[in-house]
Amino acid sequence: MKLDPSFIWEAFVKLLPVIPTTLLITVVSVACGFVIGTAVAFVRIYKVPVLHPIASAYVTFIRGTPMLTHLLIIYFGLPMIIDAVSAQLGLGFRSASIPMIDFAFLAFSITAGGYMSEVVRSGLLTVNRGQIEAAYSVGMTTPQAIRRIVFPQAMAASIPNLANSFIGMLHASTLAFTVSVVEIFAKAQIVASTNWKFFEAYLAAAVIFWGLTVLIERVAVILEKRMNLYNRGGVA
Amino acid sequence: MIKLTGITKSFGRNQVLQGIDLQVEKGEVVVILGPSGSGKTTLLRCINYLERPNAGRIAIGDFEVDCERAGKKDIHALRGKSAMVFQHYNLFKHKTVLENVMEGLVIVQRMPKETARRRSVEVLEKVGLGEKLDAYPSQLSGGQQQRVGIARALALGPEVILFDEPTSALDPELVGEVLAVIRRIAKEGITMIVVTHEMGFARDVANHVVFMDGGAIVEEGAPKDIFNKPQEERTKQFLKRIMPEPAYSI
Ligand SMILES: Nc1ncnc2c1ncn2[C@@H]1O[C@H](COP(=O)(O)OP(=O)(O)OP(=O)(O)O)[C@@H](O)[C@H]1O
Ligand SMILES: [Mg+2]
Repeated sequence: MKLDPSFIWEAFVKLLPVIPTTLLITVVSVACGFVIGTAVAFVRIYKVPVLHPIASAYVTFIRGTPMLTHLLIIYFGLPMIIDAVSAQLGLGFRSASIPMIDFAFLAFSITAGGYMSEVVRSGLLTVNRGQIEAAYSVGMTTPQAIRRIVFPQAMAASIPNLANSFIGMLHASTLAFTVSVVEIFAKAQIVASTNWKFFEAYLAAAVIFWGLTVLIERVAVILEKRMNLYNRGGVA
Repeated sequence: MIKLTGITKSFGRNQVLQGIDLQVEKGEVVVILGPSGSGKTTLLRCINYLERPNAGRIAIGDFEVDCERAGKKDIHALRGKSAMVFQHYNLFKHKTVLENVMEGLVIVQRMPKETARRRSVEVLEKVGLGEKLDAYPSQLSGGQQQRVGIARALALGPEVILFDEPTSALDPELVGEVLAVIRRIAKEGITMIVVTHEMGFARDVANHVVFMDGGAIVEEGAPKDIFNKPQEERTKQFLKRIMPEPAYSI
């Protein structure tokens, strides 16, 4: 077998149109995961009764099981529930009409939520108690103090970890191919299936992922510089 | 004007405030002295409700709270009456000097931005920081940061400003500039309660000195009485320890 450089290029070009699918899965799961993760982080930090143990269990389950299992559990479990409920209520709705990609959105958001709750939580814990006390002292309510003072500082401190989560979810989005979503990895397989040049196709896919990752890293560095402007000077 | 009645506070089994009664008149500067661990910080934090007293009443201006019953609304209203200057400044570190001072005016007092800005600049000029409006706290010296802390409290126009050892985290050469600012605003008739170990400052700025020990007020009175002829043994011992022996006696 010989390497076919021209096919790498050909595969690369054929993969470009599905980049938006990969990015969409990533952005949706990171955005929803961030919202879930923030809620979970607050529940855990403020030890909200009832919700607190649930939140902790959620985080250990997500972090303690492979992401592929989350996807497959949702993919096989959710339709059963939906169809059963739909039949009970006599609705005509069938789970088969749900687009495959929606399962990926849901499952990956749940995964990202578990991981990102730890990112947000550690960010919140970096904010000195004196900051919220100063906010109270000028008369703010707790929601105002969190929104205006604590959260922005926590986010600025979390940018490197948030970027890591983003990159992690970008790479993990390839798992969507197991539920027949055609993202970059699935497309590479399809492209290669006509002539069996899998190696070239995967190389092309790797280059694309690498490029996207570098892009995210760059953006993170710029954001970090901008948001941490106030830290120059260095003395706490 | 400010009236504390029977304030008690415990941390677990440790009763830190044993029922504090204190009255402060409008425009008065009250200095609280006392050994480490006597409950000075805790008392100030109770007035600002950063610590919740177990019992007692706090009245500031026309507003009174019964600490055993105080709800969220009462606490919020009470906090609006006082402002705190912290030992470690606690400036909002992601905000500039100007934003630090404007924050409470715009967000809490709902002042229009332009008005808030004008008022903040005015107060910052008063503390000598008119040139540093756009600096971040991390770019300032300790003395400058504390002056921003004072400006932040002052701009809110509270009934009373609470100072908790405002100069004790500063290098000695920076203490003077902060004390000078506090002196100046004291002269304007702002009511203040100051915890400090700066005896010289206490002597010539205070109208009233309170000596605390073991979570209780041991003795209080005019500065010249407390410093020159303390009645209580514990006050005498504390003053002897904290002040150098006078070279001569009158
Ligand atoms: N958050 C807390 N939890 C438990 N104990 C506390 C807490 N804050 C203060 N204490 C205790 O309360 C007592 C009084 O503390 P406080 O800080 O009010 O003293 P202070 O007079 O301000 O002392 P210093 O001059 O050292 O600042 C101390 O014994 C301290 O250990
Ligand atoms: Mg103290």
